[in-house]
Amino acid sequence: MYLLDEVLKNKIKGLYFGNRIILPFKAHFLKVVIEDDIITDFSISSRGIYIREKEEFTDVYFHDYKNLKSVVSKYEAIKILLVEKGKNIFDEKNLRKIAVYLGENHEITIEESEANILFVK
Amino acid sequence: MLTKKILPILFFILIQCSMIFAVPENVHAAPDSVNTAVELQHALPTPWMVIPFVLLLLMIATGPIFYKHFWHHHYPKVAIVLGIITAVYYLAILQDTHSLMHTLAEYISFIALLASLFVASGGILIKVDKKATPMLNVLFLLFGAVISNFIGTTGASMLLIRPFMRINKHRIKPYHIIFFIFIVSNVGGALTPIGDPPLFLGFLRGVPFFWVIANVWYIWLPALLMVLAVFFVVDSMNKSGADDKSEFTGKIEFKGFRNVVYLGVIIISVFLDPGILSWVPSLSPLPFGIREIIMMSVVFLSYKQADESILKANEFDFDPIKEVAYLFIGIFLTMIPALQLIAYEARVFSNLLNQGTFYWSTGILSSFLDNAPTYLNFLSAAMGKFGLDINVKADVIHFETVDQVYLRAISVAAVFFGAMTYIGNGPNFMVKSISERAGIEMPSFFAYMIKYSIPILIPVFTLIWWIFFH
Repeated sequence: MYLLDEVLKNKIKGLYFGNRIILPFKAHFLKVVIEDDIITDFSISSRGIYIREKEEFTDVYFHDYKNLKSVVSKYEAIKILLVEKGKNIFDEKNLRKIAVYLGENHEITIEESEANILFVK
Repeated sequence: MLTKKILPILFFILIQCSMIFAVPENVHAAPDSVNTAVELQHALPTPWMVIPFVLLLLMIATGPIFYKHFWHHHYPKVAIVLGIITAVYYLAILQDTHSLMHTLAEYISFIALLASLFVASGGILIKVDKKATPMLNVLFLLFGAVISNFIGTTGASMLLIRPFMRINKHRIKPYHIIFFIFIVSNVGGALTPIGDPPLFLGFLRGVPFFWVIANVWYIWLPALLMVLAVFFVVDSMNKSGADDKSEFTGKIEFKGFRNVVYLGVIIISVFLDPGILSWVPSLSPLPFGIREIIMMSVVFLSYKQADESILKANEFDFDPIKEVAYLFIGIFLTMIPALQLIAYEARVFSNLLNQGTFYWSTGILSSFLDNAPTYLNFLSAAMGKFGLDINVKADVIHFETVDQVYLRAISVAAVFFGAMTYIGNGPNFMVKSISERAGIEMPSFFAYMIKYSIPILIPVFTLIWWIFFH
């Protein structure tokens, strides 16, 4: 498993298959924007999203979409507001805005979104 | 997915078949394309046929709140099926292919303009590196209002919504977007026929190009200033981002000049209508013309040639325009009976209508129906009071000299009231969609009206009525 900064600095890629993305780090999720869906409910009863933490990665399932590639264009990002696991969730400085782009061969590119695209907290 | 592709094709085939087999009585009865009351007397729909339109409006309003999952996946089918119900009624019961073909032509024209402006502006990146303040926002919105008269409310909205969100990224709230819709996407565009489609239709009918600015600016200005003043007060109370320590260079970055040229092409092509320029060939009976072909070519070229880094920065995606395309095919079709009944009633009761009732009727109906045909129907009714015919260009020119207050009331109301709902004007929905993709939780259809448009706009529009049309 990597730290988020390592992922961003070394451009380590994640994966996606169907409606699932696999992120190579662990985090507390606060907000996810996919298409025009703004998801803030990450409880077990949430119908839109399911997050499963594994030893080496984090699985994110988007239940409202069968195939992410068919709805998220190559210029569009899935945007995630998160705090890396192990860091103080109550310290605003630890809030990170991440943009996830779906690429070829099931790979996802993970970038910090602040500088490039619009993502409102 | 298959249903999405097949339904529009079935609908088009249905219309084409009916053109061959149906007896087009109404076509003979109505040589002109405008749905005036005169032609409607031949085939008025039953008021029950307003139900699909009301149903669609209710579903647009309630779907994203109460049955989001169903709506998200099935809204294209809902819109198309309700539209087909109306289409079948017109084909099988009224045997009126004219109204459907006219609506199809209007829809293609509408979506070609929106799509071309959406795609061309998606390849332009404007970054304003200044600290957001209420005054800067007011100036920005004022600029948007003015520019909407040159590139249309849709063009201005698509071009400026992202930079507006970027400036305010540390303090943005839904009200920023809503005031943007009020000012740039609607009220601003009341000065020229390019600004908003109803004024353009008036221009096509014979209203002189500069009549609008000469006769409406002194209504436009106070209305705009009042809305801006409310915005300034609301924005001044927003203290979010006050502790933001970011440094600003004050620079304005502009990328994508090629797409600016494409925007110019779209604006020029708006005038490529056989009704304006006699040398422009008509492609009748096809439901589109040279203008729409140019616009769709711009969609293709401006997307293919756009800088990828700009598309990525703008997070370009066709979904907002697809959403508008699906919802509005349903709206355009299901509103045919409503518009025809209103046209008929307006004509019948035209002698009882004064400038105030023209203002409110045009306005309230433009909030929910397409404001372009609403404008024409009430213009037709107003001209009827003086024994003038909207289909005769000389009569329209004469009308604006006889009694300008009616034309002023109808023009102002058709444009201003488009801001009352998300569906009042084409760009409203797209601005909402773009904002949601940036993570801004926009109010629902009802919340938009109850929290914002009714309490803010209705007092302003009432004051406008009191001063100018009472």
